[in-house]
Amino acid sequence: MHVVVLLKQVLDPEIPAKAFDIDQGRKAPKVERAPQVLSIFDGNALELALKLREARADVRITALTLGPQQADEALRKALALTCDEAVRVDAEEGALDSHQKARLLAAALRLLEPWDLVLAGRQAADWEAGQVGAMVAEELALPCVPFVSRVEQAAEPLAVRQQLESGYAVVQLGGPAVLTVTNDETNVLRAAKVKDVMAAGRKPLRVLQAGEILADLGESAVEVLSLALPPKPERAEIVEGGSMEEKASALARRLRELGAI
Amino acid sequence: MGGILVVLTLQGGAATPAGLDLLGLAAEIAQVDGGEVTALALGEGGAGAGQGLISRGADAVLYCADPALARHPGEAGMQVLAQAEREVQPDLLLLAADSVGRDLGPRIAARLGAGLVTEATSAALHAGRVEVTRPVFGGKAIARMAATTAQAVITLRPGAGAARAADPSRTGTVRELAVQIAPAANWPTVVRREVEASSGPRLEEATAIVSGGRGVGGPEGFSLLHELAQALGGAVGASRAAVDEGWVPAALQIGQTGKAVAPDLYIAVGISGASQHMVGCARAKTLVAINRDPDALIFDAARLGLVGDYREALPALTRAIRELS
Ligand SMILES: Cc1cc2nc3c(=O)[nH]c(=O)nc-3n(C[C@H](O)[C@H](O)[C@H](O)COP(=O)(O)OP(=O)(O)OC[C@H]3O[C@@H](n4cnc5c(N)ncnc54)[C@H](O)[C@@H]3O)c2cc1C
Repeated sequence: MHVVVLLKQVLDPEIPAKAFDIDQGRKAPKVERAPQVLSIFDGNALELALKLREARADVRITALTLGPQQADEALRKALALTCDEAVRVDAEEGALDSHQKARLLAAALRLLEPWDLVLAGRQAADWEAGQVGAMVAEELALPCVPFVSRVEQAAEPLAVRQQLESGYAVVQLGGPAVLTVTNDETNVLRAAKVKDVMAAGRKPLRVLQAGEILADLGESAVEVLSLALPPKPERAEIVEGGSMEEKASALARRLRELGAI
Repeated sequence: MGGILVVLTLQGGAATPAGLDLLGLAAEIAQVDGGEVTALALGEGGAGAGQGLISRGADAVLYCADPALARHPGEAGMQVLAQAEREVQPDLLLLAADSVGRDLGPRIAARLGAGLVTEATSAALHAGRVEVTRPVFGGKAIARMAATTAQAVITLRPGAGAARAADPSRTGTVRELAVQIAPAANWPTVVRREVEASSGPRLEEATAIVSGGRGVGGPEGFSLLHELAQALGGAVGASRAAVDEGWVPAALQIGQTGKAVAPDLYIAVGISGASQHMVGCARAKTLVAINRDPDALIFDAARLGLVGDYREALPALTRAIRELS
């Protein structure tokens, strides 16, 4: 069974707001010095693939990313977590809309065939659009199961858990499909072992040129009109008191006054 | 601009609040623009719900209750949506940013080659096209975006607050969408659905929520949150960090990628206030933060704050509240 996991290297979403600045020329964040990390839901997707491989012996995992050379970091991390192969589509990812990215990834996936599952994070931690996974499914004319959090049955027929607003569904697959992955307590990405990190540095990365795998990218269908910092909010009213008992009583009284209790 | 196709899922034979927001937004755009609003109602009860959807802003209602929608929500949903799109030929498709719209929106946009903007918190017509506002980069920035194509697809976040009051004098047509769904062998199939078990009130319905984050420090700490929740007759929620730590199940996660809740009172305990968490509780009437860091971001979003260690603050607050009631 061949599983391909789509990964994206993004601006670290945990950097404080103070450290975030906008390049108005590109209508994008200034990223020159900011740390980049593997997008968090992609980490959950990767963990799901690793769990599936533990549950059945025949699983081979390929990590696929789209981006400039910097995105190789995501692939190195995937290899350090013992993914079998790593492929990057070389493209200035920031200039493309989600559909263009999906078309490029679909073209790369066709070259990587045969595979049984494509896993993607439900949304990237930068623009948070949540579009690429489902669009890849559409481009490949494959079914898509969104918000998958775990594998319910690793043997055929494969079944996965799909998170819903108030509960979940168990979904049985009928063949190759794209799954977009959401987080739950079972799919937190594990840490790599030191020896695997060393070995990963020596493994080859395959690079595909965007222009060679897709002749016509078309035009972007979406325009960013403006990108601005949000307005500064008002700070909370902090309850005062000499002791914790006093603070807590003051808080309870204010809640009563506001009609909240 | 031409017509608008609004995609809504019926629950218990009625539109959800997210669906009513979509209709309200569509009616607002159509009012300026003159286009017709068609609601596509998926799920059981469409014939009966039709007039209600018209009173909320639809000019026409197409409904489909094919049982395949429950067994194969994604693939059957796409067939139904594609058929409705062919019939209506809308310039704008509006879906909710929920488990259905986040699935179908990108797929239909890719199929149609239409520009897609997801997770809108507001949208309005400017010079003939719909401009969308939405937070990006975890709320560190606000983007305004628009499709450059003639046809656009937008998903709107629940809680956008665009719903209109019912106007029973409005009239329109209601009919069943004629569509033959032929499930293919490779379609994913829902074999079982589980509704979350919970001892107290469900998070979505709770009037008070005590929510814990990484600052709670471990699963044991959550017992203090449960005690406060019990005193308030409420429920316990959590941040993603607490879920990632394995202290609580994912069903408790509140936020952009967890549940969106709207209690009267939301008490965030040991939660730093990342915007991805805050969008899930922004509709709380009164937001309280308990955090030991006086500079924590959460005090930007909260109405009331208590600076201190929650391990002392919660028992004291639970007592104080019990005394008041
Ligand atoms: C695309 C995307 C989607 C996301 N979706 C969600 C989502 O749906 N929901 C969500 O919650 N997060 C989500 N996140 C994660 C989010 O960015 C934050 O990482 C997360 O909310 C942080 O959780 P936290 O506040 O509990 O932890 P931290 O940020 O670690 O904050 C812990 C807080 O506890 C305080 N504290 C520590 N000890 C004590 C004590 N003894 N007493 C009182 N206070 C104490 C600290 O001062 C600190 O403020 C998402 C992130 C991304 C990138």
